[in-house]
Amino acid sequence: MATTVPPPAPAEEVVARLERMWEARPGVLGWVMTTDHKRIGLLFFWTTLALFGAGGVEALLIRTQLIRPDNHLVSPGTFDELFTVHGMTMIFFFIIPASTGVFGNYLLPLMIGARDMAFPRLNALSYWVFLGSAIFLYTSLFMGLAPNAGWFDYVPLANRRFDPGPPIDFYCLAVIFNSLSSTLTASNFIVTIFKMRAPGMSFNRMPLFCFAFLATSFGLLFALPPLSADTIFLFLDRNVGTHFFDVAHGGSTLLWQHLFWIFGHPEVYILIVPAFGIATSIIPAFTQRRLVAFPLVAIAELLVVFIGFGVWAHHMFAVGMPVITVVFFAAATAMVVIPSTVQVFAWCMTFVTGSPQFRTPLLFIAGFIFMFVAGGLTGMMFVAVPFDQQVTDTYFVVAHFHYIIFGAAVFPIFAGFYFWFPKVTGKLYFELPGQISFWVVFVGTNLLFFPMHVVGLEGMTRRVYTYSGGSGWGPENLAESIGGYLTGAGIVLLLGNLLVSWFRGPPAGPDPWRAPTLEWTIPSPPPEYNFAVIPKVSSAYAAWDLADREEDRRKLAEHALVLDQGHEQPVSSPIDGWFSEIVEMPHDSPWPIVLATALSLVFTTLVIHKYAVAGIMGVLVLLALLFWHQEEPQNA
Amino acid sequence: MRRRDRGTAGVRALPWAALVALPLALAGCSGNGQNALHPHSHAARDIASLFWWMTGGAFLGLGLIVGLLVLSWVRRGRRGVPSDPNDPKPGEGFAVKVVVALGVVVPILVMTAIFTIGDVFVMKTTAAPYSRTRTTLTVQAVGVQWYWKFLYPGTRAVTADELHIPVRTPVNLVATTADVIHSFSVPELNRKIDTIPGTKNRIVLYADEVGVYRGRCAEFCGLQHAHMAMTVYVDPPARFRAWLRAQSAPARTPTTALQRRGERVFLDGPCSSCHTIRGTSARGYLGPDLTHLASRRTLAGATIPNRKGYLAGWIMDSQHVKPGNQMPDMDLSGPQLQALLAYLESLK
Amino acid sequence: MSGYVEGGTSERLVPRTTDARNAREAAALAARRRGPTVSLWGMAMVVASEGTLFGAFVGSYYYLRFKSPHWPPLGTPEPKVVVPLILVAVLATTSVPMQLAALAARAGRLWATRSFLLVALVVQSGYFAYEVHDYVDQLHRSTPQDNAYSSIYYLLLGADHAHVFFGLLLNVWLLGKLATGLTMYRLNAVQAVALYWHAVNVLTWIVIGTLLSAAA
Repeated sequence: MATTVPPPAPAEEVVARLERMWEARPGVLGWVMTTDHKRIGLLFFWTTLALFGAGGVEALLIRTQLIRPDNHLVSPGTFDELFTVHGMTMIFFFIIPASTGVFGNYLLPLMIGARDMAFPRLNALSYWVFLGSAIFLYTSLFMGLAPNAGWFDYVPLANRRFDPGPPIDFYCLAVIFNSLSSTLTASNFIVTIFKMRAPGMSFNRMPLFCFAFLATSFGLLFALPPLSADTIFLFLDRNVGTHFFDVAHGGSTLLWQHLFWIFGHPEVYILIVPAFGIATSIIPAFTQRRLVAFPLVAIAELLVVFIGFGVWAHHMFAVGMPVITVVFFAAATAMVVIPSTVQVFAWCMTFVTGSPQFRTPLLFIAGFIFMFVAGGLTGMMFVAVPFDQQVTDTYFVVAHFHYIIFGAAVFPIFAGFYFWFPKVTGKLYFELPGQISFWVVFVGTNLLFFPMHVVGLEGMTRRVYTYSGGSGWGPENLAESIGGYLTGAGIVLLLGNLLVSWFRGPPAGPDPWRAPTLEWTIPSPPPEYNFAVIPKVSSAYAAWDLADREEDRRKLAEHALVLDQGHEQPVSSPIDGWFSEIVEMPHDSPWPIVLATALSLVFTTLVIHKYAVAGIMGVLVLLALLFWHQEEPQNA
Repeated sequence: MRRRDRGTAGVRALPWAALVALPLALAGCSGNGQNALHPHSHAARDIASLFWWMTGGAFLGLGLIVGLLVLSWVRRGRRGVPSDPNDPKPGEGFAVKVVVALGVVVPILVMTAIFTIGDVFVMKTTAAPYSRTRTTLTVQAVGVQWYWKFLYPGTRAVTADELHIPVRTPVNLVATTADVIHSFSVPELNRKIDTIPGTKNRIVLYADEVGVYRGRCAEFCGLQHAHMAMTVYVDPPARFRAWLRAQSAPARTPTTALQRRGERVFLDGPCSSCHTIRGTSARGYLGPDLTHLASRRTLAGATIPNRKGYLAGWIMDSQHVKPGNQMPDMDLSGPQLQALLAYLESLK
Repeated sequence: MSGYVEGGTSERLVPRTTDARNAREAAALAARRRGPTVSLWGMAMVVASEGTLFGAFVGSYYYLRFKSPHWPPLGTPEPKVVVPLILVAVLATTSVPMQLAALAARAGRLWATRSFLLVALVVQSGYFAYEVHDYVDQLHRSTPQDNAYSSIYYLLLGADHAHVFFGLLLNVWLLGKLATGLTMYRLNAVQAVALYWHAVNVLTWIVIGTLLSAAA
């Protein structure tokens, strides 16, 4: 059914037509109804930033309470809420949505030469569901009913008998609500990566960033259901009277722990693998060298998530499992080290064999490597089960996972903020305050987290709201708190610099770093349609393939592969990137936010135990789905 | 504290400085009786030396990475034209060899070593005894929100807050819970073990020398998790036997009129509904057994010293001392309190 | 291959889905696409995620089972075997009309698509009606509040019924859509819903097999 192709038009005319066709609605509606992955990425950015602030304030309150022995700043109950919500916020509401929702959303389509996600409306739904779940959790905090049994919420402490009232119901529902958003995002990423790549971008020509996000998405897709199952059990145990975790009636308390950590350990890799992806984007740009051992690193990124699914019980070495189980999981834990060390040395050797330019993003990446190695080395120690059993549940473990989660997952997020700031805003940031902010954050986090190793070995256990002067833990805790404030100040400087640069920064141009991936071949900020011509790709460093970029310009002049008969987008075969079809992408839609609102009503009525009303709200959800599907975009 | 800095080549020695500083830092504030690096048993010593070896290796590894990063900083910008299209991957062959050698081969060797030493040899020394043959004494530790209760099966002895064991004797410790998950942890004697509902977990406790060690609940168990500690008294065998005999006996009968009035306050008031005093009609089981309360040195999960003033404060206003604990504030008149204190202090 | 772009202007060689104006054109375009469509991939994600959820439920079932001395616990009735097995077998046969509907849609045969969907829907609805009746009936004899066995039993069975119910909604919706003709979008939808039903049928086998294993 080949249709008649319009005669070649001059490039400016083609671009103007694409502009008109993809133009966003003006004003607030343009954001509420948007399906543009860049706008959704920005929505995620502002929301996760606010939640990062909330989680940070909680952390500083915790540190202030612990700044000296026998402190009485907050009550024990408030302290329990603070560390629980701090953990939930940083993991579910900051790092996952910031790495997938912000970086993945904004950059994945740009890196693979696509004009949007495979399911743009679903992408919008991910955001609105995420926003709903965040409001849901923080409502509980402001009502003084926040979850208070720790982010891993062990039963029987989380059972109705020991924790009556709404807090744990809020926990269960917030977790399910939030994981709905992450599951949608992950599904969208997987299909986008497999199907929406620019024709010709076979798997081996895909940037490592995309491998990392593919691995993370698979991790999310398979890790979240066990958590949902677990929280469903808990919600039923608490509110319906089932006995999944009730030992007296044939249940098992360890069932909670197994299901939780089957999610919880892949979760760690879900948090840090996107960071690997960001690192592998920044390192080649600032060393002006292709990443060392590309295939090994790509495989390692996928493998680390895969093996990560087989190590969960190392969080449970002290629960009294049979020796054979313990040894099996210790061996698996030893195995998961290898893909990580491969990547670390590949990054380092790229530094050494390239010509590194230590601007702020690369400084943060160097800091990330340091923190990841430091946290990874203490992680390797946990392979020695007796040592793990000695320090588990002490501050040594708190130190270990903060080196990983803050150092290895958040440092690259900061690096990414700086690295892609010119792309998103079209402005350059100011270098000196950026570098200063790095050093403040770096010194601050080490001062904050290193003494935790020491105090943990000295016997300080996790989640204590205070400690006595006789314990001898005072000096370390004081240092940690000072480090906490320093870190906070550094982050304020870091973000403040970006804010000022946004208004005052010099124009950046399309490619200030001479970076290798496709997003740097288009104007900054990117136009709504991303690419005027579907780009030609013959390597994973497409922006450095100058002949290909020349050909793109020629094609634009010839009006070839412009796809301007609508919201058009090419679809490719999953592995080889064969050009398969041209589809029409959906336009703005009000239904994602309507559906998310209906879902919010379902969860709200569930938490107040009005199940009949929740059923009615469920019908609203179905109605919203029905209206959603009244439109029939041809993007499948 | 360790400060790290890759900016200047001169600080390459910092990891080594930190390596020296770490033991000093650890030794600095160590006399708290719960320092994992002050082992007082074979098991804890094995764990501690495992830690020191692994830490040494960790600093070597970290030093190597920092070294590579500093090296790249020193050689920054040495290439005139970056990203030469004719040579997009300078030095790739050598770099990949390094990645394979240091990223695959060395970690496999290191992990095998850690696994073998840690999970075959050290694990044996820290494991629970296989049968009763190796141990002469069994103690049951029960985690309760929020104190530790210790029972000595075969005797009537029940105590709280403090565990007494004989020196140089392997003790079979059975850890259980009365409510939620707790974790029994005495770092200077052995690793920790969780108390899981419906399960009896065991470890061996052994102490090289007479002394006083501190332990805590390590698993978050609710509001007063912070105040759920214990003291472990390691005594010479004779002293231990005497102690156990004394603890097995029923409570002393009150001798003075004041003490007798106190006993009535205890038995007629709300106290006896939660506490047991063996030899009287008080059989409550929610709170600690108070039969030999006066022989203990601490109260309320090793939170406050067992002195008259503290005890009075605890009885009248326990929610202030340990907010959220299971004991309600008592409403006693001055004379009633004085009598009760006299009685409780007589329970040697 | 003709569709492989190495910078050539081969957009004329691949189908443009917007070009389809009727069932036959949609079918002709569909025949020229390569590999599974985006909507089929999307449904595969749903199936993967749901399958993992059911995997977690089934795993929990066996975990609880191996921790219990008696399964089902003494005093709890064993599950009936014969009727559920026959019903699952009947439900599984609906994979055939579902797949035939998908093939008919790909061939542009609107009436055949509708008919196969309707046949499947009738059988599926019958299965669902009986199972709901049976579920309520069982609740008179034992409840999820009895013990961990009955908790996981009713949860697994209920989750599977919900899974079937959602499939019924999808089929009803599809038939409604097909009332006004076949488009590219609807063609894709029929294929995706067929995949959903294959997954439902496999999962139902696994769930029922797991639950009935207690009677063995």
